[in-house]
Amino acid sequence: MPIIEVDNLTKHFGKIVAVDHVSFSIEEGEIFGFLGPNGAGKTTTILMLITLLKPTSGRATVCGFDVTKQQAKVRSCIGYVSQDTAVDENLTGRENLLLQGRFYHLPKEVLEKRIEEVLEMVDLTDRANTLVSTYSGGMRKRLDIAEGLIHRPKVLFVDEPTLGLDIQTRHKIWEYIQRLREEAHMTIFLTTHYMDEADKLCDRIGIIDYGQIKVLGKPNDLKSQIGGDIITLKFTDETNSYADQAVEEIKRLSSIENIVPTKDSFSVVAKDGETTVPKIFEVASNVGATIESISLKRPTLDDVFMAHTGRELREEMGSKEDLMRERIRMRRVRM
Amino acid sequence: MSVLGDIWNVCWRELIRFRRQPARILMSIVQPIIWLALLGNMMQAITQMLPPGTKSYLDYMAPGIVVMTTIFGGVFGGLSIVWDRRLGFLNKMLAAPISRSAIPIGKTIASSLISSLQATLILCAAIVMGVNIATGPLGIVAVILIAMILCLMLSGISLALGAVIKTHETLMVVMNFLTMPLMFTSNALFPKELMPSWLQTIAEWNPITHTITPIRTITSRGWEWALILPDVAKIAALTLAVMGIAILLFRRSIS
Repeated sequence: MPIIEVDNLTKHFGKIVAVDHVSFSIEEGEIFGFLGPNGAGKTTTILMLITLLKPTSGRATVCGFDVTKQQAKVRSCIGYVSQDTAVDENLTGRENLLLQGRFYHLPKEVLEKRIEEVLEMVDLTDRANTLVSTYSGGMRKRLDIAEGLIHRPKVLFVDEPTLGLDIQTRHKIWEYIQRLREEAHMTIFLTTHYMDEADKLCDRIGIIDYGQIKVLGKPNDLKSQIGGDIITLKFTDETNSYADQAVEEIKRLSSIENIVPTKDSFSVVAKDGETTVPKIFEVASNVGATIESISLKRPTLDDVFMAHTGRELREEMGSKEDLMRERIRMRRVRM
Repeated sequence: MSVLGDIWNVCWRELIRFRRQPARILMSIVQPIIWLALLGNMMQAITQMLPPGTKSYLDYMAPGIVVMTTIFGGVFGGLSIVWDRRLGFLNKMLAAPISRSAIPIGKTIASSLISSLQATLILCAAIVMGVNIATGPLGIVAVILIAMILCLMLSGISLALGAVIKTHETLMVVMNFLTMPLMFTSNALFPKELMPSWLQTIAEWNPITHTITPIRTITSRGWEWALILPDVAKIAALTLAVMGIAILLFRRSIS
């Protein structure tokens, strides 16, 4: 039986449809990710699954409990790590964990042991007794994740685990999340707008845009569905008049799957990209077109996103980082 | 039982946070003491207009200043919930299997405990300045308890507003708008009997008046229960009502 089952889950905020008939299921022990831009409905979905938002329609079960009818049972079996990194700066790391453990009604002896355990897991043992206000962003996130683990939840919900963190810290956090699954056999549901994160970390992902799941599957399967490598080529301005003819010729090559014009270049999907590139040069010069630049890459989840939504995921990124910075500033002015 | 545990945990966090901010503790006490020293001496001349038996204006105003501190303390109760909402801590608590009502109750109790500490220190300072407490140490305890009831009421009001108003700037402005008039339309610093009649009517309806009157009876007259109990019962009943509304509004704001 799947540990999370979601059936036509929908949430309206007034006239805005934040989540639109979303259905999926997650097996125990899976790392499942929602990949999508800001405002795609990722956080709204999480908030419904952790019982903090009432769905407008549809239903969902977590650990076999209905998220609207058996809220208390759902809450006891899940952990939640929000994108806000909601750790209390005026408490020490240990006090934060103590408080969190008490919120889950852990007996004193168990809690004491668990605190040591999770501190060790996220490498914070030596800083446990200092105030969180002295922690770096990465340390805060690690403490936040540790708090989500204190009651050994069956399912851990992690909203944007590495938002606003530097590259090394992000890799560390990914390691912790993977270790959790291996050592604690936890099911992990995460959301992210970083495609590399979804790619590295998740067994399966759902690409979500405007509240709808566009496609669901293993990252590698989704990438291979693109049908080959991605070649981006650009003709020189002088020979651009021959471009249409060149494209017609390129289309006839046997390894070409698809060719579409983008802003000022062409995006080609081809099987076996390495051997296709010289052929493209040959065909192009035959009709008199000169290639100014050409690049070859394996498909990424960004290409998958583009294939299913017609937009690039990267374009959407900026504002979320700004929001995070704003939050950090807010925290500093707080009394 | 777990509800009591949840309340204590919410409260414990606020108390630790308070302890970690020594500047906040210091300022919350220094300011009222300055008021006492300045106003207490400045207004010495009106001592003869005060109710018979009051030895000095300082004696008269000390209860008012204690209550004023309590009012300011109470106002912060709702502010902390607005911050928690903004920084995501509220969602973290709500995702845990804790009693929903424990959050507003724990926070109001915490601010009332903090106020009791401030009130105690200010009373001590007042005694050092020469204020005489007619009922002795037991009287001090009674004064603190009454002040705590008022603090519960005010942090209940600010929590109720915090459930509706979701930005701290707006909440600050609204609460400031409430506190000053509440203070000055009561008998905190000036005897009700000397006010114009329309102001007297307002003062009679002002819960602050009903907090200060029994406190003042205890500090300057003695255990005159007939003058103490009815007012205390009134503010306790109002506090219960306010808390009920605050809990209701809070629960509605999170569902």
